[in-house]
Amino acid sequence: MRERLHSLELDPKLLAIGLGGGLLSGLLGVGGGIVMVPLLVLWAAYSQRDAHAISLGAIIPISIAGIATYGVAGEVRYGTALGLAAGSIVGARIGAGWLARIDERLLKIVFGLFLVGVAVLLGVRG
Amino acid sequence: MTGPTLYVVLVAFGVVVGVTSGLLGVGGGTLIVPFLTLAVGFSQHSAEATSLLVILPTAVVGSLALRRRGVGDLGLALRFGVFGAIGSVVGALLALALPASTLRLVFAVFVLVVGLRLVRDGLRGERSDEVRS
Repeated sequence: MRERLHSLELDPKLLAIGLGGGLLSGLLGVGGGIVMVPLLVLWAAYSQRDAHAISLGAIIPISIAGIATYGVAGEVRYGTALGLAAGSIVGARIGAGWLARIDERLLKIVFGLFLVGVAVLLGVRG
Repeated sequence: MTGPTLYVVLVAFGVVVGVTSGLLGVGGGTLIVPFLTLAVGFSQHSAEATSLLVILPTAVVGSLALRRRGVGDLGLALRFGVFGAIGSVVGALLALALPASTLRLVFAVFVLVVGLRLVRDGLRGERSDEVRS
C-alpha cells in the first residue's frame, strides 16, 4: 500500500474516522479524541504517538465548529473559561513535550486506563 | 468556592486538563464538563459551551508544540478535522432525535473494551494493529 501519511490527499479511512468521530462527539457530547485515537491506531494503523498528535490537531476545526454551533447560545462563562485556559495552555505544552518522548507502550497503557475511566464515568452518567 | 480561591482551583485544574490534552490528544471536555457541573455547579449547557472555549486554545498550543517537535502532521490533522467538524454538526442535530442515554451506554461499553485492549497490548508489548484475516 502506498504511504499516504504525508500526501496531500486524505486516506478514505481517515475521512471515515473523521466523520464518525465527529458524529459520535456531537451525538454523545464526548470528546472526538476518545473515538479518533483508537480508530487511528486499531483501524488505520497509525503509530500510537502520531495518532494522538493527529487527534489533537483535528480537535482545532472540530471545536471551532462546536463554538459556531453552541457558543453563540450565550451560555459561555468567560471568566471561568479564561481561568481554565490560563492553566491548560501551560499544561498543553508540558503534555505535548511528554507525548514527544514517552515510550509507545507506556502511552498505550496510560491512554487505555484513561479510556477505562471515561467508560466508568459514562456508565455512571448513562 | 468564590473569588480568588475559585480562580486558583480553575487554573490548577486547567493545568491538569492541558497536560492530559497534550499527552493524549483529547480535547479535555471529558474532564472539564463534569468538573464544571459537579464541582462548580454549572448547568450542563453552560459547562459544554464554556469547555469549548478552553479546548480550542489548548489544542492550538499543544499542536504547535508537537509540530515543533516533529510529531504527527498538523496539516493532515487539520484537513482530517474538517470532516470531524462536519460529523459533529450532524451528530449534534441527530442527538435531538435519538435516545441519548442508551447510546451513551453502548458507547461506554465500546470505550471500555478498547481501553482494556490497549492496556493489554501495552503490557504485552505487541503491535495493536495486527491484521486478523
